[in-house]
Amino acid sequence: MLIRIIIDLLIGAGLVFAVAGTIGIVKMPDPFSRMQAATCISTLGVLGVAAGGILYAALVMHNASAAIKIAVIALMIMATNPVGSHAIAKGAYSHGYRPKKPMETDDLGRDFDD
Amino acid sequence: MKNLILFSVLFAILAVVCVYRLVKGPTAADRMVAADNADILLCCAMILFSLHSGRGVYLDIALICALFGIIDTIAVGRYLDKKGRFHNVDSDHH
Repeated sequence: MLIRIIIDLLIGAGLVFAVAGTIGIVKMPDPFSRMQAATCISTLGVLGVAAGGILYAALVMHNASAAIKIAVIALMIMATNPVGSHAIAKGAYSHGYRPKKPMETDDLGRDFDD
Repeated sequence: MKNLILFSVLFAILAVVCVYRLVKGPTAADRMVAADNADILLCCAMILFSLHSGRGVYLDIALICALFGIIDTIAVGRYLDKKGRFHNVDSDHH
């Protein structure tokens, strides 16, 4: 019974971070702020769900293959999502989108002057 | 266990909330961020639904979803990039 409480707490923590990231996606003013808020989903949200899921599959269902698959899925999401976010941010900046508030330092801007 | 299907439905509802930004978002980067995160939230929902129903097929579908989500995110990022290869094909000011 204790292990189920721990699983629920882990998945609930993941859900809290997912709710925070979704509110950030809906309410933030520009693409870069939305990207920054959405990072919370793909790291801590997925980490909570995967930790709870691995514990449930291994200790309640006694199914090792499901636990390994969930670990692979979580590792894949947490390893590849920063690459995608970097590609989107660089592409959006190069395409001409800027943050709503003017930036104080703009180190990337000198690469796109030509 | 009833809690797993409850969490799964909540994650699916969050994915639908992301679809609002995907439809409304003014720029392409907004839409792509919303699509990527809806994909990840649906992955979480499918993991939890697989644990609820005891079927391993949904784990495979979640893995494929995660893999193809990153591919289209990088593709749109490279498409938006003015120094990327998609821009140099049809531009002549360089």
